[in-house]
Amino acid sequence: MTDQQVLVKALPAEPPPAARPAPGRRRPRFDRQRIAMLLFIAPAAILYALMMIVPSLQSIQLSFTDWDGISPTFEYVGLRNYEDILTGERFWNAVKNTLILGLGSAVIVNVIALAVAMMLDKLDHAQGFFRTIVYLPALVSGFIAATIWKYVLNFNFGAVNATLKGLGLDAQTRDWLGDHDIVIGVLLFIICFTLGGNTTLIYLANLQSVPQELVEAARIDGASRAQVFRYVTWPMLAGAVTVNMTLMMIAGWTIFDQIMVLTMGGPGFISETMAFFIYKVGFGEYRAGYGSAAAVVLFIVVMATTVIANRYMRSREIQA
Amino acid sequence: MTDPKPKRAKERRRLTAGELIVMAVLAILVIAVSFPVLYALLNSFRSYADITKDPMGLPTSLDFSNYLTLFQTTEYGEALLNTAIITAGTLVILMALVPMAAYGIERVGGRTGRWIYLLFIAGLMIPFQVRMIPLVTSMNEVGLYSTLTSVMLVHFGGSAAFGVLLYCSFIKGVPREIEEAANMDGAGRLRTFWSIVFPMLLPVTSAFVIIQALGLWNDFFIPLVFLDASSAGTINVALSRMSGLMASQWELIYTGAIVATVPSVILFAAFQRYFIKGMSIGAVKG
Repeated sequence: MTDQQVLVKALPAEPPPAARPAPGRRRPRFDRQRIAMLLFIAPAAILYALMMIVPSLQSIQLSFTDWDGISPTFEYVGLRNYEDILTGERFWNAVKNTLILGLGSAVIVNVIALAVAMMLDKLDHAQGFFRTIVYLPALVSGFIAATIWKYVLNFNFGAVNATLKGLGLDAQTRDWLGDHDIVIGVLLFIICFTLGGNTTLIYLANLQSVPQELVEAARIDGASRAQVFRYVTWPMLAGAVTVNMTLMMIAGWTIFDQIMVLTMGGPGFISETMAFFIYKVGFGEYRAGYGSAAAVVLFIVVMATTVIANRYMRSREIQA
Repeated sequence: MTDPKPKRAKERRRLTAGELIVMAVLAILVIAVSFPVLYALLNSFRSYADITKDPMGLPTSLDFSNYLTLFQTTEYGEALLNTAIITAGTLVILMALVPMAAYGIERVGGRTGRWIYLLFIAGLMIPFQVRMIPLVTSMNEVGLYSTLTSVMLVHFGGSAAFGVLLYCSFIKGVPREIEEAANMDGAGRLRTFWSIVFPMLLPVTSAFVIIQALGLWNDFFIPLVFLDASSAGTINVALSRMSGLMASQWELIYTGAIVATVPSVILFAAFQRYFIKGMSIGAVKG
C-alpha cells in the first residue's frame, strides 16, 4: 500500500538530506524522550481509533445480528446476514454495477488522462497555461456535475431531449435515467466525462521525468513513435499507472454520489452500487445488521483487490 | 501561469503546426468537458419558464435575481456557512493533531512506530460505509448527531490516515540535530515542535491543506448521513434536498451549483502554484 518511493520522487522541494544518527547511538534521556513522543501521538491516535477503528470493529459485531438500527435490543443470528447477502440477486446486481462503473471508469479515465498528459507533454509553448485550463473542469465536484446532468437529461424539459427534438430526431429521445437498458451506460458516461484532473497531473509529472536520451536513442535506432511509446515510455510509466489505477479503483468501489443524485438506485434496484446498497438497507430499510454485513463484504473486496492489483502492477514495474 | 522551474530545460523553439493542433484539441476538450457547468452558469441567469420552454436557449440579460432568490427563500446561505465551518474546523483539528502525531511516530521509530503507522494507514482501505452505521449510533448516544461537530470528527478519521502517510514520508528527511540543539537550549519538546519542526514541514502542509480543503468542501456522503432535517445541511446536502422536491426549481438548482463551485475556483486561482505542485505530491497517495 505504501508508495513512498513514488511519493518521495514526486516531492518537488526536497528537504535537506537527513543526517541519520548511527543506529546504536542511545540518548541518556531515551525513555523520557520516548514517552514524550508517545504523548505526541496519543491525541490523534485516540480520536482516530474512536472514529475509524472502533466503529469498524463494531460493524463486524453488528453484521452477526438482526439489529434494525433503532430498537434497544438485538439478537445474534450467526452468519445468516452473510448468507442472505450472498444468495440475494440484489447484492450481486450491485456488485456487477460496481464492477462496471468502478473498474470501467478507472480504466477509461486513466486512458483519457494519459492521452491528455501526453498531449500536454508535447507542448513546448504555453504548457503551464494549458495545464491550468485542463485542470479547471476537475474543480467541479462529482456531486455538482451529477446534479446538473440530472436536469440536462430530464425526459420532458432536459436539454438533451430538447436538442434531439429540435434536430428532428424524436425517435432518439429517451428517458436516459429511467430506462433500465441504458441507465448503467449513461452513469458510466457521466462518471467518465472528465479530463482526469489529478490523474493527468501525475501522468504529466512522470512523463516529464522520462529521460530524453532514451527516447532519442530509440528514435535513432529507427523505432517508430508507436514503438517508442510501447518499449520506452510505457514501461517508464508503470509506477504512475499503479498509483493512478489503485487510487481510481479505491474510489470506484465506493461510487455513491452519482447514484444517489441521478437514479436513487432505480429504476427498481437496477442501478444500485455496493456503497448505495449499504446506505439504502442500513438507513432506508432499517436493516442495520444486514447493512453492516454488506459493509464488511465491501471492505474485504476493497482490501483484496487493492493488495492483489498492487502486487500484480508492482511486478511489472522496472526498478528505476 | 508558467512553471517557474521547468523539469526539463527546453530550448526556445518555433511554434510548430503540430503544437497548434494539440492546443486546439486540448481547448476543444476542455470546453466539451465543461459543458455541464457552463450550461448551469448560463441557465442561472434565466427564469424557470424560460428554461423549461427552451432548454437550449441563451440568457437574454445578466439577471442576478436567481442568486438573490436562492439566498432569500432557501436555507442555502446557512448551508454555505455550515460547509465553510466544517471545512475550516476539520482543517484546524487535523493541523493541531496530525503533524505532531506523525512526528512522534517517526521519532519513536522501531517496531512500535511501525505498528502505529500501519494502524493509521489501514484507514486508507476502510471505506466510510464500513464505519457509518456504528458511528451514527454512537453520535446519537453522546448527543452529537446532526451537529457540525459530528461531521468534523468523522471527517477527521478518514483524513488522518492520509495525513499521517504524507507527513511521515516527509519527516523522515528532517534532520534531528536542529531539534536536539533547541532541546539543549532548554526549549520544551512541544515548543521545539511548533516553533522549529512545524515550520520546516510547510511544503507538505500546504499540499495537505489544499487537497483536504477541496475534498471537505465537495463531500456529500458524510454530511448526508450525519445531518438530518434539523440542520440546513451543507451545500451539497441542501442541493440534494432541493432537487428531491416534487416541484424542484431548476433555476435555483443551477444557481446553487454555480455558487457551490465558486469557492473552489477562488481557492484554485489564489493558490494555483501550490495547488498543482500539491496535487502532484499529494494525489500520489489518496
